[in-house]
Amino acid sequence: MNKKILDVKDVTKVYNSNGSEPYEALKGISFSVDQGEFVGIMGASGSGKSTLLNILATLDQPTSGQVMVDGKNLSNLSANQMAEFRAKKLGFIFQDFNLLENLTVRENIQLPLSLQNIKAKLFNNKVQEVASQLNIQDILEKYPSQISGGQKQRVSSARALVSDPSLILGDEPTGALDSQNARELLDTLNDINEQGVSILLVTHDPFSASFCKRILFIKDGQIGEEIKSDGLSRSEFYQVILDKLGTFEQ
Amino acid sequence: MLVKLSLNSIKSRFKDYLVLFFGLIISSAIFYMLEAIATNNQFTEGNTIISSIKFIFQFGSILLGIITLVYVSYANNFLVGMRKHDYGLFMMLGAKKGKVSQLVAIETMFVGIISTVLGIILGISLTGVLSKLIMKQLGISLKHFSVIYFPAIKITLILFIILFLIASILNIITFSRTSALTLLRSSQATDWKKASNLKLIIQSILGLVLLGIGYFALCDIKNLKLSSIPIALVTIVLGTYFVFNALVSILITQLQKTNFGQKRLNNFTLAQLKFRIRDYTKILSVVSILFALSLGAITVSYEMNHQVEKYANVNSMYSIAVVNPDKNIKTNIQKLSDASVQQYDQITTKNRIYYNKSQINARPFEYQDVNNSGEIKGIKKASIRELSNPNSTAYSNFLNVNGYSSKKIIFVSDQKFNSIHQKVNHLTLVKVKHTTENNIILDKIVAMQSKQLKVKNVENLPGSYGYFKLLKGVYSGMEFMGTFLGFAFLAMLASCLMFKILSGATDDRQRYQMINKLGAQKSTQINSIIQQVGLLFLLPAILGIIDVIFGLQMFDQMELISDPYSDLILVLCGFLFVYLLYGLVTVIMYIKIVLPKIKITK
Repeated sequence: MNKKILDVKDVTKVYNSNGSEPYEALKGISFSVDQGEFVGIMGASGSGKSTLLNILATLDQPTSGQVMVDGKNLSNLSANQMAEFRAKKLGFIFQDFNLLENLTVRENIQLPLSLQNIKAKLFNNKVQEVASQLNIQDILEKYPSQISGGQKQRVSSARALVSDPSLILGDEPTGALDSQNARELLDTLNDINEQGVSILLVTHDPFSASFCKRILFIKDGQIGEEIKSDGLSRSEFYQVILDKLGTFEQ
Repeated sequence: MLVKLSLNSIKSRFKDYLVLFFGLIISSAIFYMLEAIATNNQFTEGNTIISSIKFIFQFGSILLGIITLVYVSYANNFLVGMRKHDYGLFMMLGAKKGKVSQLVAIETMFVGIISTVLGIILGISLTGVLSKLIMKQLGISLKHFSVIYFPAIKITLILFIILFLIASILNIITFSRTSALTLLRSSQATDWKKASNLKLIIQSILGLVLLGIGYFALCDIKNLKLSSIPIALVTIVLGTYFVFNALVSILITQLQKTNFGQKRLNNFTLAQLKFRIRDYTKILSVVSILFALSLGAITVSYEMNHQVEKYANVNSMYSIAVVNPDKNIKTNIQKLSDASVQQYDQITTKNRIYYNKSQINARPFEYQDVNNSGEIKGIKKASIRELSNPNSTAYSNFLNVNGYSSKKIIFVSDQKFNSIHQKVNHLTLVKVKHTTENNIILDKIVAMQSKQLKVKNVENLPGSYGYFKLLKGVYSGMEFMGTFLGFAFLAMLASCLMFKILSGATDDRQRYQMINKLGAQKSTQINSIIQQVGLLFLLPAILGIIDVIFGLQMFDQMELISDPYSDLILVLCGFLFVYLLYGLVTVIMYIKIVLPKIKITK
């Protein structure tokens, strides 16, 4: 049996729980992601995707339930431990890249390692390694304002990879890219995944989702359905997703 | 509807507005206080001492007016920065530019008028405290002084309303020229370009050389004479600008390359600073220069006031010189502490005053020796020859204790003196070690003396005490004005810097959110903010302090003040305390604006 890298059990999130009109954003969600899996989470706006992602990212805490990442129960962590956990175990790729424009590409990539207080000598090699993996060795000394959107997202991916995280969380990573760059990024994510890195991708774009091996559909704060690519080609899986979305719409 | 929306968004950003109001209230309160004292006729004309220093007050209020202008423009930038996004949104939703401009103007005037009125009220209550302080320092009492002074209220209101009117017009122009989209995205706009290394190196060298020339000019005032001041002003101002624009950048870049620079958030902190410094060059230079001027002004006025005794002694070493003192004066002289009394017999005829040589030789007349350029050489005992030479310092000192009499002073032998058959008078000379400690008794003596001699102004009495009182009044006035203006400038400068830093805080919010997501602990983020804001406050202060250290050389070289550095530490401590208090408030405000709150609702 594969090792579970992420295990979510009965997670609920109630906003304004003490107020007059509590709002239940997550209604008892349970699912898991195995080591090396590429899982997508799809859902319309307001379905609870962002709330779930924030909880997985330790940026928010669930009202009840349990989240385990790499065997560690997140609800027992203090704020500082959560920060350390984010730096060591999670890699983020955001829709709007979230690069710091006053740091060079190299400095942006090494930031998660600096935060863990790893010595400069040790992380220089690691930065080079991820940079060549994502084909951005030539732009390491440039500032984000000097590179293209596609390059920015590759830098963002390199930053997510550099600390050898247990899980990479992608939040609509192709949202701000043109189709060519989006395709390239998804191919890269696919390559990364094939090297054994677990990825959880939150998206509402069927094309991006078609790169995943398994997709969970979230609706009104609950996991509705789950589909797997199971040997289908990417384009066939894309069609399956579109059909599934069609039934959701009805 | 828009007004309602606008009021709502003010409510939601109440804390930010509080800082703005607080700063503006302080600035109008300071202005009112100075005006209430400087332009108050009861104050300036009711007393000869104050009327002689009226010009210092007027000069002070002009200076304060100028700095207020700069201050209001920074505060206005802070206001505009807060509102850009909201107004952009209103325009996006279809509000007409005219309507938005109108709102902008109303809001600016609203903020301005409310804070000015509150500032005047605060100013009125503070004037009570301040006027007591100044009266104590000048040693005077005013019976009819009122803290509510309408002309001062009028001037303060007019100045601030004009300033805010200008600000409103400028804001209308800004908003009407910028498109809704640009306003909405204003916080995302970044203009980060790498400056060329060569340019930075040249500017750094130039900056250091210019500062060097400026400091040299200050130290070499003896040779350069008056030209040293304009040379120093120009070179130090330019040098400071280049140092902030380039040298600090280079130092930060070098620091980034070290192991320290790679630790935790240090690289980010340094990059933020580098990014900031170039945007802050102007304000940092202004803060640094004005910091130096204010600190220098306080130190110098403080030191000068402490040396009044020495200046007064140039006229005469003897505080009191009285001919045939009556019983009352005698009793009071006995009450003086650490006083030495000496007496010379004199005979006054129609055209001459005779003194007995042997009496003067037995207990020589003392005077403070001064050379041609006015430098004090020390205390000397006068010989009869010196006393008879009309061009000597000894002679002019002796003339002083004789009340600048037009009669010829003649020194004669015992025999000759005794042969003059006229009434013998006794000139009593009183020397006190510490004039300030004895001032109450000395005041009584000169009051009695001026009544007897029918002299209106005490400075015309023989002896140095009258002159001491006049000087003390002028220098205490200067010390008061130096301290008041110094701290007023400091408070305004520090809040200009505060507004400048806080105006950029909103843009930083996103950066810190990013870093938080990447796993930076809250304490690490707070440290980063403390380092950034702390350095932005400290850098101009450090350069300012260096300026003052060299600037005081000027007074030392000219021997205007014997030890200009003796009170520097004390003044500096008070100065840094106020300045760093603003730094602390800025850090706290910054953290509140920038760091995301993690709401844990379990």
